[in-house]
Amino acid sequence: MKNRMKKITALGLSALMCFSATACGDGVQETPQGGDEPAEASADNADSGAEAADADTADTGSDSGDKVITFWNVGTEGADKETYEMAIRQFQESSQSGYTIENIPTQNDKYKEKLVIAMSSGECPDMYTTWSGGPMNEYIDSGYAQPLDDLYEKYGMKERFMEGALEQASYNGQLYAIPVKNISIAGIYYNKALFEQCGVNVPTTVSELEAACDTFLSNGIIPFTLANGPKWTGSMYFQCLAARKGGLEPFQKAAAGDGTFEDESFVYAGEKIQEWVNKGYFPEGFNSMSEDDGQAKAFFYTEEAAMYLTGSWNTAAFKTDSEDAGNDFYSKVDWFSFPAVDDSTADASILCGTMGDQFISFNCTDEKLDAAFEFATYLSSEETIDYMVSASLIPPVTGVEEKITDPVSKSIIDAANKASAVQLWYDQYLNPTVANAHLDGNQEVFGLTMTPADANKKMQEAQAEYLSGK
Amino acid sequence: MSNQTNTLGKRRQRSTNLAALVFLLPVFLILTAFIFYPIVDSFTISTYKWNGIAADKTFVGLSNWSKLLGDREFWFAFRNNIVIMVMSIIIQIPIGLAEATFIEFAGRKATVCKVLWFIPMLMSSVAIGFLFNYALAANGGMISAVSKLFGGGNIDLLGNKSTALMTVIFVIAWQFIPFYMVYCMAAYTNVSEDVYEASLIDGATKGQYFWQIALPLLTPSIKSAAILSMVGSLKYFDLIYVMTGGGPGTATELMATYMYKNAFVQFNMGYGSAVAAGMFILITVLSLVTMRMINGKKEV
Repeated sequence: MKNRMKKITALGLSALMCFSATACGDGVQETPQGGDEPAEASADNADSGAEAADADTADTGSDSGDKVITFWNVGTEGADKETYEMAIRQFQESSQSGYTIENIPTQNDKYKEKLVIAMSSGECPDMYTTWSGGPMNEYIDSGYAQPLDDLYEKYGMKERFMEGALEQASYNGQLYAIPVKNISIAGIYYNKALFEQCGVNVPTTVSELEAACDTFLSNGIIPFTLANGPKWTGSMYFQCLAARKGGLEPFQKAAAGDGTFEDESFVYAGEKIQEWVNKGYFPEGFNSMSEDDGQAKAFFYTEEAAMYLTGSWNTAAFKTDSEDAGNDFYSKVDWFSFPAVDDSTADASILCGTMGDQFISFNCTDEKLDAAFEFATYLSSEETIDYMVSASLIPPVTGVEEKITDPVSKSIIDAANKASAVQLWYDQYLNPTVANAHLDGNQEVFGLTMTPADANKKMQEAQAEYLSGK
Repeated sequence: MSNQTNTLGKRRQRSTNLAALVFLLPVFLILTAFIFYPIVDSFTISTYKWNGIAADKTFVGLSNWSKLLGDREFWFAFRNNIVIMVMSIIIQIPIGLAEATFIEFAGRKATVCKVLWFIPMLMSSVAIGFLFNYALAANGGMISAVSKLFGGGNIDLLGNKSTALMTVIFVIAWQFIPFYMVYCMAAYTNVSEDVYEASLIDGATKGQYFWQIALPLLTPSIKSAAILSMVGSLKYFDLIYVMTGGGPGTATELMATYMYKNAFVQFNMGYGSAVAAGMFILITVLSLVTMRMINGKKEV
C-alpha cells in the first residue's frame, strides 16, 4: 500500500515536473531563488504566451470604451522615438476626438514576438507597426487589421504617399496600413576617407567591388563590417547578390511556386558569400555578433572597416552617434547602391528593402479607428516630415526629395527614385516558416558549415511544404 | 457515553476535512488553471492547424503528430537536449559535490568560498546570458582578448557550429553548479556528526571517510539531484534563447526553443503544441524509466 502510494506520488510529481517544461518552464531547478526578477519575467514571455494562447477567441479586447488608444512600435530611442512623440503632441493639441495616445515602444527583435503573443491572448493593441509582407498579411487574415480605403479618402492621404509605399501597405487590393518613417533600402555605406587613402573608387560592378576589398585587405582594413547573429543582416548580402544576378523574377517565381530557390541566381549568391568569407572580407567572428548591440557599427565607427552593407535607416544613427561623440565621422560617410554583376543583364537599379520601414495597422473600429487614423496622419504632417528629414530619415511621402539636403540621404533618395522596382526583404515577404529556413540556412552558409546548394534546397523544401499546405 | 465520543469524533473529523478542503482548494485551482488545463489544451491544440492568433482553426487529426515523428529538426533538437542532459549530470553534480565536500571539510574557513561560489545562482538566466555573450564576444570578448595576447586571432565560440553547444553547456554548468553545491551541502547535514567522528576514531583518513562512508550516505540525494538535472536539461530554454537563439543555423536548437519558434515566430501554434505535447511525453517517459532504474531494486 505504502509502496503504491509512493509510486503514484512519484508519477504525479514527475508529471508535474516535466510539465513545467512544456507550458510553464519557470525552472524547478532554480527554486531557491525564485523566478520573480523582472528580467526573467520579461524573457519568459514564451511561457505566458503558452498559457495565454488558451484564451480561445481572440476578441478585440481593447475596444473597452475608454478613450485611450494604445500604440505599439519599435521607436525606443533617437529620432524614431522623437518622431512618434512629436506626432502624439500634435494630435493631443489639435484633435477634437477626445482620445489620447498611449505610446508603448519595444526593442526591435523582442517586438515581433511580443506582438504575436499579445494577439494570441486577445490583447492586441489598437495600433501597431509591422514591416508589412508575410507577417502583416497573417495578422490581416486573422482579423487584426481594418481596411482603410475610406479613411484614406476622408483624410486625403492617398496622394500623400509614394506609390511603392502604398503598394506595400496593401493586401488583396485593399489598404490595411499607413506607411511611416523611413524609406529603408539595402545599400553600402562607405568611409570616404578610407577609400581615398587606399585609392579606391566607388565600385559599379562586383568585380570592382572585389578588387576594392582586396586592396583594403592588403592595407589591413576589414572590407565589410557585419554582425550576423540576428541572421537578417547576412540575408541582405544574399538578397542583393541574387537580385543583381537574376533580377526580381527568380525570387517572385520561386515565392509563387512557379520557380525554385535552387535557381542559378540563388546558387550564385550563396557561392559568392562563401567566396568572400573565405577571402576574409568580413570581421572575424561576425556570425555570432549582435547587430542590436552595435557590434557591426563599432568596426565602422572605429574606421577598422571600410564598408557596411545595411538598411538605409542607419543614416540617422550614424549622424546622431557622430554628433554625440563630437567627432566629424559623419562627414566621411557616403552611400552607394549594390554594384551590378558583371556578366548579368539584370536591371541594376532594382533595390532591396521597404518603402516605409514601418507600417501602422489598426485593430479598432468606428470612432476609435477614425481617431487612431487621424493620429497617424500627424506622422506625415509637414512639421513631422521636416523633423524627420532633419534627422536624416526619409519618409515615403511625395516630394520629399526637395526637402533633403543631407548628402547621404540624397544619394539614397536618388537611388530610390531611379529604382525600377523594390524587392521587399525576403524575411518579410516570405511565409515565416520559409523565411526562417532561409535565415538559418544562410547563417550556416556564412559559417561555411552548409553548402549554398543545400541551403537553397532546404529553403525550397520549406516553400514547397508551405505551398502544399495552403 | 461511547455514542457521544463517536459523534464528537465524527464532528472533529468533519471539521478537519473542511479545513483540508479550504486549504487545498486554492492550490488545486491554481494547478488546474496553470498546469492541468494547459496540458490537456496543448494536446487538443496539437490536433489543429492554427496560426495562434486567428479565431478559426482547422481540425487536422493526427497529421501534426505524424509530421513530428518524421521531423529531423525535432529529433536533432532532442539529441541536443540529451547531450546537454548527459553533460550537465557529468559536469555539474561532481563539481557541486566537490565544492560542498571542500566546504564541509574546511568548515568556517571556507565561508568566503561558500559565498563566492554561490553568486551565479543569484543571477537571472537572462542576465547570465547577456553577461556571457559579452564575455565570449568574438570581437573584444575575454577569450578573444586572451588569444590576441598570445598572438592568435579572434575566437568565435558561439558563432561556430562545432563549439556553440559545448560553450552553452559550460555556461549552463556555471549557472547551476552552485545549486548542486547547496544541494550536497544540505545532504551533508543529514550525515550525522557521530559517523564522522566514529570513522576518524577508527582511523579512517578524510579520503576514506569520503569515498567509503559519506558518498554512500549521500547517494540517495545525488540520485534525486541527477533526476532534477535531467528534467531541467530536457526542458531547457532560457540561456539558449538569450545566447544563441538556437543558432548558428540550428546547431543549438533545443526542443523548447524549437517549440517556441514554431508556435510564436512561424505562426504554427498547432504544430508548436504538438512539439510541446511530444516533449511532455518524452520527458515523462524518460523520467519514469530513470526513476525505475535508480529506485528499482528498492521498490520491488
